[in-house]
Amino acid sequence: MAYYITTLLVYAGVDAIACLALSQQFGVAGVTNFAFIIFQAAGAYAAAVLSLPSDSANGAFQTYVGGLHLPFPFPWIGAAIVGGLLGLPFSALVGKRLRGDFAAVGLLVTAVMANLLVTNYRPFLNGDAGLALVPAPLDGHFNTQGGTYQWGYSVVAVVLAGLTYLFVRRVTESPYGRTLRAMREDDVVADSIGKNIRSLRTSMLVLGGAIAGLSGGILVGFINLWDPAAWGYAESIVLFAAVIIGGLGNHKGAILGAVLVPVGFLEASRYLPEIGPPGLVPALQWVAVGLAIVLFLWFRPQGIFPERRRIVASTAGGAEPLPLVAMSSAKAMVARPASGPADVMLETRDLTRHFEGVHAVSGVSIAFERARLTGLIGPNGAGKSTLLAMLAGTLQPTSGSIVYRGENVTRVPAYRRAQGGLIRTFQLASEFKRLTVIENLLAAVPDQRGDSLRGALLGRRYWGADERRAIRMADTMLERFGLTDHRNTYAGDLSGGQRRLVEIMRALMAEPQVLLLDEPMAGVHPELAHRIGKLLLELCDEGITIVMVEHELAIMDEFADPVVVMVQGGVLAEGSMASLRGQEDVVEAYLVG
Amino acid sequence: MNVFFASIGFGLVSASVLAVASVGFTLQFAVTNVLNLAYASVMTASAFVAYAFNERGVTIWLAALAAALTGAILSLFLNRVVYSPFQRRKASPIAIVIVALGMTLIIEYSTQAIAGPTNVSYRMNQGPTLSIGSFSLTVAEVAIICISLVLMAGVHLLIRFTRLGKAMRATAANRDLARSSGIRTDRVISVTWILSGALCGIAGAVFGMDAGTFGATSMDLFLVLILAAVFLGGPGEAYGAMLGALVIGLGTEVSAAFIVSDYKDVIAFVVLLAMLAVRPTGLLASRT
Amino acid sequence: MSADVRGLALKADEITAGYGGAPIVHGVSISVAPGEVVSIVGPNGSGKSTLLKSLVGIVEVLSGRVTVGDRDVTHWAPEDVARAGVGYVPQVDDVFAPLTVRENLEMGGYLLRQSEVAERLEHVLGLFPQLAGMLRRRAGKLSGGERKMLAMGRALMLEPAIVVLDEPTANLAPAIAKLVLSEHVRQLALTGASVLVVEQRARAVLEISDRTYVLGGGRLRMEGTPAELGSSQEFVDSFLGGGRRTAGATTTPE
Repeated sequence: MAYYITTLLVYAGVDAIACLALSQQFGVAGVTNFAFIIFQAAGAYAAAVLSLPSDSANGAFQTYVGGLHLPFPFPWIGAAIVGGLLGLPFSALVGKRLRGDFAAVGLLVTAVMANLLVTNYRPFLNGDAGLALVPAPLDGHFNTQGGTYQWGYSVVAVVLAGLTYLFVRRVTESPYGRTLRAMREDDVVADSIGKNIRSLRTSMLVLGGAIAGLSGGILVGFINLWDPAAWGYAESIVLFAAVIIGGLGNHKGAILGAVLVPVGFLEASRYLPEIGPPGLVPALQWVAVGLAIVLFLWFRPQGIFPERRRIVASTAGGAEPLPLVAMSSAKAMVARPASGPADVMLETRDLTRHFEGVHAVSGVSIAFERARLTGLIGPNGAGKSTLLAMLAGTLQPTSGSIVYRGENVTRVPAYRRAQGGLIRTFQLASEFKRLTVIENLLAAVPDQRGDSLRGALLGRRYWGADERRAIRMADTMLERFGLTDHRNTYAGDLSGGQRRLVEIMRALMAEPQVLLLDEPMAGVHPELAHRIGKLLLELCDEGITIVMVEHELAIMDEFADPVVVMVQGGVLAEGSMASLRGQEDVVEAYLVG
Repeated sequence: MNVFFASIGFGLVSASVLAVASVGFTLQFAVTNVLNLAYASVMTASAFVAYAFNERGVTIWLAALAAALTGAILSLFLNRVVYSPFQRRKASPIAIVIVALGMTLIIEYSTQAIAGPTNVSYRMNQGPTLSIGSFSLTVAEVAIICISLVLMAGVHLLIRFTRLGKAMRATAANRDLARSSGIRTDRVISVTWILSGALCGIAGAVFGMDAGTFGATSMDLFLVLILAAVFLGGPGEAYGAMLGALVIGLGTEVSAAFIVSDYKDVIAFVVLLAMLAVRPTGLLASRT
Repeated sequence: MSADVRGLALKADEITAGYGGAPIVHGVSISVAPGEVVSIVGPNGSGKSTLLKSLVGIVEVLSGRVTVGDRDVTHWAPEDVARAGVGYVPQVDDVFAPLTVRENLEMGGYLLRQSEVAERLEHVLGLFPQLAGMLRRRAGKLSGGERKMLAMGRALMLEPAIVVLDEPTANLAPAIAKLVLSEHVRQLALTGASVLVVEQRARAVLEISDRTYVLGGGRLRMEGTPAELGSSQEFVDSFLGGGRRTAGATTTPE
């Protein structure tokens, strides 16, 4: 009985560690790694071959690489390192722009193939027979078959699970964790506010892989054997089921899921007497896991412990100046020049983009002057949004170049342009839905101390002051836009107009020098639209350059100067709205198309 | 040379089984945009229903019809009761994948719970071996090839020349426009899942015949071959799936004869991963 | 209009419609008399397409009533609206791209008997003779103008009493666009059907319309005959803003 309980405890610890890794990777960062199980497997194999003696020992009844016979804790460390390193090649797979389900199939199949190869290639890891007689940690110092050792092992496993929990919580409840959640909500938008998605994904794969690898190492040290049957594709499903049932994005949920699904459903009864014909009980267990997955996703997709809304506490002290104001004074930005040659902030040269032969934008050369609000108008399909996307780097031009502050940025990725102050908004709602309003704003603040894995791990003492400053700025912004009451509301729960505001505020928090706004007033109450327009003009006075696509021409009339008219992918005319209205070809473009 | 011809023979049989399965799979994707990863489990369940009849003395060729019926019913159930409700809720493709994997566990292990964990074989007569030179196949194998050819011809006639088949393609191409043309797309989709489910069921039965012995989990790996064939031809493309099945079926068997047979499926994995990485719309994609 | 008017009346009363419960069209009423050609014009984002889609059952009607003839078709599924005699030509995705031209037309006549299909096909090819030479080509391979012809031909297969077109000239070169409006859309009217067409090319569509509605900010701004609107400065302003601004949801307070 003691053996049974200690075994369950070790399994609970191991599964909890694995589920926490998956919870961090999938639940928090939204990286769907259906090959997750091979990270645990790699860790187990690594620990095994590091602790086993050379394969000629024991009468050479099994063959494997390695066999270094290293003492504890090297096998466990090795397990974590191998799991982490395995994450590197995977970042290429997971980061691809592929339909979610296609990518999932690719990863599942990779896991199946890895299993097939290890099964069939005996010299590597002893093929389908697997590795046996893996030494337990500290073998020789203790009686590893004794009850004391078993209890000790289970305590270590559970304590390590607890430490893993503290570790992933530290990562998640930091500015870096907020960035990860923003990426989970919408990676393109996160990219547009300066987040390096590829690097974030790679970090998650390496971190999750290392933790999963460690869990494999702990497990193999206890059960002393490891074979391909232990890591079939179904085991991956079990871990995903655990995290979903426990609650995506909630690490406590991951622990609960681990205790319920892999331990509760599968391990707990492994040592119970068989009921019915042989194989019935295990089969029914799998059916139960399948049912649990489908029923939970239907009836309670948020899991038993849903991700909790993070309330950002107010900070004492006076209002922090807005980043824009700070920037315009500190960096001594020139205000809008009254006359004389205006300096060009952003420029396109012969910019062209084809979509399957159609010229969405062709040969566009425009110069956007500093501290002006340039309007971009034109009929449907004129190429305005395509142009904006190219300026921001979301879309690559087919030919031509983009020059930002005198530098050719045509090949610079979107997040780098954003970090350089070139910030866009989107035509369709693009708020991070399951981040609160203030979190949406905070996510955009550049150069935060806590917005890196290292910073997150250094802890609140390292980034706390920085964060409080950011919160004060965000609160000032919320006040300015009248959204203070919705500070801690999920952005996804706001009305359409309020969501547009969140987006504009978020763009402003990113400390833009050039703002690219794609129909920012669509769906916004007219009175509010008017206020936004005025605010944008104030920003121009502070030195910000704004390019705005908008189809409500009355707004252009009042706020934009100059206005660029695009028709069929090209620039038709440029000038003040009043002068454009007098031009016959512009009128025709609107009436005749 | 002998080995080569023999492997071509095996390859043709494999390709035949694979073609039936892949066309069913791809049709489901075409009309509903769902990668039904529970497909292999439906094949398994159908193969076992055929086994149950076969055990009671029904010839396997008739029992295969029971497999077709099982496949049709299970597939209709999967789409109507599971996938389409989730789709109506706008579940993400990832969520649908997880649901499909959950359904795989349910169907596969329910089958195992009922049928037991041991492998089974159909009672069937392989018949005499027919040889042309070193190219030899049993009568049963020739029959499998013929069944597949007839089914493929049937699918071709259906989607090219019948009102229903064209409506299936129209629904796949543009569901809103199909509805605005007066087509009741919900019905077309249900019929598609019934027909493709029947193909899935028959595929399960002929898989069992070809493999000789099978168990509840033997078809898991076969799903990868199906996916490879489907993605080679482009998901949703019936003719692409036929071509993909031919390439994968022959490729795996011929390579098994010349490399090591343990790794014969690896070629399918590599093809699938390469297609996903380079051209997920398939080799024939530019045609539309 | 034409002598044999077999068109039905289409009436929309106080339609409020939009995606996911968020209204884009606010309380718009329009009507098309049997055999009439009616156009809806307006600037980008004025809700023209959304209004049209709500009439044919693709976008949810949040309030108001749509009637075809004397039948209330509000909240009907698109296939049922089609069966009630409304032929719809969408702006994009207007053909079954992987299907051949012939198959597209056959799908347009899905509800017909086999013998009727051949008959109607001949009739539609009579209206669009160019299509006759390309029956075996894939619809996705057609040029913009050919594709639009096919889209209209498909909608005509069921001999609809009302044809509803969403920006038939979108993404077409100006010369082709003119042809589509002045020849093809006009031709629809000659079949005796009522025609409701949404257009961004306001001036061109006025020439073929009996009556025109102007939409702005999801609301009805103006209504009139081509002669009335063509000479109106307010009509021009409703596209270009400025001048005497018409009241609307997203215009700014003066």
